[in-house]
Amino acid sequence: MGIGTNGSWKRTESKEQPVIEKKSIGETLEDRAKKYKKKPALLFEGKEISFAQLNESVNKLANGFLDLGIQKGDRVAIMLPNIPEFVYSFYALQKIGAVAVPFNTMYKGREVIHILNDSGAKAIIALTNFAPLLNEIKPDVPSLEHIILTGERTLVFVHPESTVSLQMVHDKVFFSDTDTAYRKIGEIIVDALKSFGVSGAWYKHRGSVRVGGKKIATCVISEVESLEVVNVLCFLGPLVTDDFFKVIWVPPEVKDKVLEPITSVEEETGIRPDKEEFKSSILAIFSEKFGVEIEEGPLKRDELFAYEKQRALANKA
Amino acid sequence: MADKWRLIYNPDGDAADILAYPSALVEGRLAGKYLLSRETIPDTVIVQGVNRKGILAGADVRVDKQSAKDHGIDVASYPRSGRGGAKQVDTVSLKELMIKSSSKFSAQEVDLDDTALLLYTSGTTGNPKGVMLTHNNFLGEFEWVEDAFPLYPEDRIVGVLPMYHVYAMADVLVPSIYFGCTLSLIPQYSPTELLKNMADVKATVLIAIPSMYIHLLQISRSRKTSIPSSLRSCISGGAPLPLMTIKQFEEVFQTQLSEGYGLTETTSAVCINDTGEGYRPGSIGLPSSFVEIKIFDEEDNELGPNETGEIVIKGTMISKGYYNNPEETAQAMRNGWFHSGDLGYRDEEGYIFITDRKKDIIIRGGFNISPREVEEVLFTHPKVHDTAVIGVPDKSKRETVKAFIVLEEGETADPKEIVEFCREHLSPYKLPKFIEFRESLPKSATGKVLKKELRDGYRDERLLEKNGE
Repeated sequence: MGIGTNGSWKRTESKEQPVIEKKSIGETLEDRAKKYKKKPALLFEGKEISFAQLNESVNKLANGFLDLGIQKGDRVAIMLPNIPEFVYSFYALQKIGAVAVPFNTMYKGREVIHILNDSGAKAIIALTNFAPLLNEIKPDVPSLEHIILTGERTLVFVHPESTVSLQMVHDKVFFSDTDTAYRKIGEIIVDALKSFGVSGAWYKHRGSVRVGGKKIATCVISEVESLEVVNVLCFLGPLVTDDFFKVIWVPPEVKDKVLEPITSVEEETGIRPDKEEFKSSILAIFSEKFGVEIEEGPLKRDELFAYEKQRALANKA
Repeated sequence: MADKWRLIYNPDGDAADILAYPSALVEGRLAGKYLLSRETIPDTVIVQGVNRKGILAGADVRVDKQSAKDHGIDVASYPRSGRGGAKQVDTVSLKELMIKSSSKFSAQEVDLDDTALLLYTSGTTGNPKGVMLTHNNFLGEFEWVEDAFPLYPEDRIVGVLPMYHVYAMADVLVPSIYFGCTLSLIPQYSPTELLKNMADVKATVLIAIPSMYIHLLQISRSRKTSIPSSLRSCISGGAPLPLMTIKQFEEVFQTQLSEGYGLTETTSAVCINDTGEGYRPGSIGLPSSFVEIKIFDEEDNELGPNETGEIVIKGTMISKGYYNNPEETAQAMRNGWFHSGDLGYRDEEGYIFITDRKKDIIIRGGFNISPREVEEVLFTHPKVHDTAVIGVPDKSKRETVKAFIVLEEGETADPKEIVEFCREHLSPYKLPKFIEFRESLPKSATGKVLKKELRDGYRDERLLEKNGE
């Protein structure tokens, strides 16, 4: 036998170790669920997930994958940290005989495009906060049919010297479809940036506005019932992130990989416009593009109540 | 369609405002519809700035609230979205996929030589390659695990390594389920979080990388954190761990710490440098009976003891190759052996030692220079915290030695003093010609220095180009 048997790896008294059976990874989970039932397989944030529960969740997801048209042999990317959904996804893919393609959650841009294209991934499972990036690169990955999202790890830094946000709440019907909504908003931002002298700004697809390869503004559109909500964050001045990383612990060597490379109006032109100038520029472009009148106005009664409640919620957690 | 839009302009708001305004508008509009409020609410544009630094964080992001306060940073949390909450367009919710599906399913039959997963690994040059790993590769790894570091159903294993990496996939996640253990998942590594988790779950096994063991040792000294005594065994892998750290860690944590060696193509570990009697400093240990390891020269002839060549490996855990890449596969798997790209030798007792990555060897005026040898000298300099040595062309395009150095905190140094220091320990042709000081070195998920990213002309793969890839 190998060295382990004579080595000093501490052994316990337990004799209960399975012999290596010739079974697939998916079948093995089923066997273990039958054998260990309520014994915890996973511990996560103070909760226990038993072998039986794990197997059930995996089964549900396997059925869900089949409903989406994911089949045996298909490649499915997993871009998740160590959360139960990673385990569910991996084993669900094993159970349907698909190929899991897990990769580094810190990959960005071309790295992601290369892996998705090389593997011919049909779907990707990622955290919600990766949606803008994935939406943006989707046209470059013809095989990608589904973006499956989980978890809530959105992380946005706002800074008095750097960021300004543009938000819109409107009836969905205002833009004919989502692609149009993204494109129009992208154009507004590009025009505004050009009015400040950022001549190289361009809008790619559903998400960021970039200068060169770097991000200068991000856009996320979500929907709630009949409404559409737009969230744009634009960098007017350089974003100094040192302080933020004192609050969110990230290993020093990966700091520059947590954020996508970003730039700002000031870095591109030498001048930082103030918020007033940003507002005027946006309003002028908006009115011209859509032929609407925009007037400053207060929150209405229902909105005021909601505002107080939402602020309390945001400050609570 | 409304002709008149409303503007809300809030240039000096804060992080909570950025979240609250759009949510309030949505709620007002939706509530208005049900409460028959007489006020009609127009479509709205909001322009906001903040007067203080802030973080907008999703419900699953860990923010150190106290530290945020100390640094004058506001933290605003997104509420956890329930069903019917805001959903990004054209995406599928994993939660909803699960909710609406049946919990009955029988694993479909597969050929055990079918690919179960593709793991992308970066070569020294070029794009990452997809390593195909099969069910049989995993079964091979389980046999090895059972022999080299057996796991039992009573074990509670700490899952702190990222699962997308082969080391966590093949030595943590899948074996944990296979051997019926309990796995504690840590989604976001920090030394304090890891130590706390180990104590909370009474961990018995820790499988981690050198930097984590070093961090754990540091905080165990500097903070009054209780040290869990439940750890029976630990494994470090990904990069070598200094002997001193192993000894100190074993003492402080009352455990045993062995070092593993493996690659993505070998379904992770194939060798273990077992702590205790079998331990040889700097070695990766003896090959187990489940794997054959030899040292080959350039023509694939086997070399004898103490002769340096390429480490080649054979066994059931060896990958069948790179996805859609027959050329690279044939090259790596020639003559039935997986060519690891690692250079090393075997001593008379059979212990294997790694010296360098084959492609990292620097050739200067016909002489081979081992970057690792230069790095080891640099590491002994008291001001040097971290270092990496690569070959770069000099003015006349001949390859020469360049050292990247991260200094200890608060230290300053002159390149000359570093070179002078090296002169005492190295032949003249091995001395670094260029020295560059850096704040940090680019590293992989397991803490290996990404030398590719240190070379000139490295293309930042995080950038997106206008015309796609």
